[in-house]
Amino acid sequence: MYEFSQLGWLKHVIFHPVEGYDDLRWKKKGSMKIAMVIVLLLFVAMVVKRQLTGFQFNDSYVKIFNIVPLFVQSIVYFFTWVIANWALCTLFNGEGTVKRICIYSAYALVPYIVGTFLSVFISNFIVSDEVVWMNVIYYVGLGWSVVLMIQAIRTVHQYSFPKTLLSIVFTLVAMLVILFLLVLLISLFQQVYVFIASIYTELTYRFRG
Amino acid sequence: MVSRMKKIVKNIISAGLALSITAAMTVTSYASEPYVSYNYDAWGDAIPSQSGYRVDETITGYEMELDKLADPKSDLFISDEEPTDLLGASDIFYEESLKEFWIADSGNDRILRTDSNLKVIGCYKGVSGSQTSLDAETGLSVFSNPTGVYVNIDKATNKPVIFVADNKNARVVKATVESKNSAVCTLEYTKPDSELYANASETFNPSKILVDSAGILYVVVSSVTTGAVVFDETGTFTGFYGANRVEQTAAVIRQAIWRKFASNEQIASMTRNVPVEYANFDIDSEGFIYTVTEAANASTDAVKKLNPAGENIWNTATGNQFEFGDLPEYASVDTGSFLSRLTDIVVDNDGIINLLDYETGRIFQYTQDNDLLFIFGSKNTTSDQRGTFTAPNGIEAVGEKIYVIDGKKNDITIFVETTFGKYVHEAAALYEKGLYEDAIEPWNEVIKRDGGYSLAYYGLGKAYLNTGDYEKAMENFKVSVAQNSYDRAYQYDRDDFLRANFTLIIIILLIIIVAIIVLRRLFRKGIIKMPKIKKKPQKEGK
Repeated sequence: MYEFSQLGWLKHVIFHPVEGYDDLRWKKKGSMKIAMVIVLLLFVAMVVKRQLTGFQFNDSYVKIFNIVPLFVQSIVYFFTWVIANWALCTLFNGEGTVKRICIYSAYALVPYIVGTFLSVFISNFIVSDEVVWMNVIYYVGLGWSVVLMIQAIRTVHQYSFPKTLLSIVFTLVAMLVILFLLVLLISLFQQVYVFIASIYTELTYRFRG
Repeated sequence: MVSRMKKIVKNIISAGLALSITAAMTVTSYASEPYVSYNYDAWGDAIPSQSGYRVDETITGYEMELDKLADPKSDLFISDEEPTDLLGASDIFYEESLKEFWIADSGNDRILRTDSNLKVIGCYKGVSGSQTSLDAETGLSVFSNPTGVYVNIDKATNKPVIFVADNKNARVVKATVESKNSAVCTLEYTKPDSELYANASETFNPSKILVDSAGILYVVVSSVTTGAVVFDETGTFTGFYGANRVEQTAAVIRQAIWRKFASNEQIASMTRNVPVEYANFDIDSEGFIYTVTEAANASTDAVKKLNPAGENIWNTATGNQFEFGDLPEYASVDTGSFLSRLTDIVVDNDGIINLLDYETGRIFQYTQDNDLLFIFGSKNTTSDQRGTFTAPNGIEAVGEKIYVIDGKKNDITIFVETTFGKYVHEAAALYEKGLYEDAIEPWNEVIKRDGGYSLAYYGLGKAYLNTGDYEKAMENFKVSVAQNSYDRAYQYDRDDFLRANFTLIIIILLIIIVAIIVLRRLFRKGIIKMPKIKKKPQKEGK
């Protein structure tokens, strides 16, 4: 029935929040390449929002620009989401594969990214009395993305609506656990590294005499 | 060969540089102030700044010529044993029409009167005409630990009238000054004999005093937490003035919730939450009273500006955000933890507010809009460096000079404003009056000397906003991180742009609309065909 290019499928999914993902799943479409570009654009959108928002609306601390938090908030969060959702939903009769969860979730992010870019763009041309325009665009994008994300998870796992919501809540919890363990692991390895490094330093002093 | 020459030249240059740097270092370390001069920027970060004040002189009893008091040949002679140094001095007051300083030399139980160069011209051990605390030998009613002094001129007799907070004698003395060492008591303010006062405190030990233009006396009593004790000109107690509020700490809120459920007996056994009393105050030329609370790290009502009704007029939506003193993020260098104890406040004739922090020995200077101008001064443990304090007790501002009295080093430090400080004050004064354009020149001078002084950029922005130079205003507001003002400048700028290019914009819009309509027509009639998009051959489902 539907014959679209890969980008056409993306458009179809975004503008048909109710049955778009079902069609996508039925036709077994969806491109990993496009999904990765979208995740990258999410990261770019975060950076743009911090750096290019109009001066009167930009409350960020401009003296230091640290890209790591933005990277974590976009790319790391996204993949944690994918992994947590997969790990959780395979245990609860979800039908999604990692690849499909990744593609479907990424497609759902597009309205948010577009909304962010647009709101940042117009923030450079409005005064604070008109801030409502900027906020409307941003939050419409956000809300749209949330709706799409719920649809994406529902379709990919073939869940009922309440089960989808429940799985999303538990996915968020699982994300927290994963990130906590990740931080723990990193700090432990750091200590191991420091330990080895200090032994090395000690030894070099000994051998030098 | 060439490379060798280069090397030699290089060596000579680097040696010369090293030498000049060492020379320069010795010079700068000799000339610099004994503290780091800093300021807070829009983010609340401490950043280095030019000093607005430098230490001019340190005055001890010797420079004040206090030895005259013990010198029989001098006309100021009191007795051979009269101390020739300050001891625990706690207040300094400048009387403008006389151009004289009055110092409460608390440890020596006397009030000193000096000229504008701090040379002693009078000394008062007590007053005559009162029966309290009578000294058998001299017949004077002597002071005991006088901690506050206030002077004004009696309009009828044109004689100076001094008010002394006679702390240990539990009274405030009003006396007419007759000569270099005698004053006649005209009124004695003692512990009010009223139930209202009895509820507030059992003792009456005045520490600081203030008299407004109507002759009403305000007394800070450290055991009274309900505000300053007020006496009218006849000496009758009329009430309290301008109490602080209780600081909303977690413990206070918890107790307030408990009180809702507790029985009367339980409530009776609870501690009462009373506000912290204020430590000192000053009155400006318009009759507003400024108070300062000395409690460590006080954040509620640390500094207030009170109207005659005793209300804090800074306590508005914006005024609530006024912050005074060091920001809590910045720990004291000595202790490593944040401690601030604002002990004295003085407002000069231009409305510039100076705050003295006992704990850090720093003086914070603000405009009426809570714009921080300068931070200077420092605490020192070795106590022998000029410009550092051990126990800074009182501050007074006279013209371009700031006087700080130290109760342990027993000296008075005089700060004098630098050229930088002069330009800042000049610009700030013009700015306060709303003469933004006139302030452009001094602000530019300020920026020349300290490019990080963000108030200057803000002032310039305001000036350009007034002259209609919105681009420049926006630029300056951006540097001083003033988002609201930037917003206003941008709005005007955009309005101007739209007004200037209105026809052009409408024409462009019309052209676009016409083009769309025409193209549609052409499509429908098939004159122009949609360019064909090549479709990729799709793989059938995997």
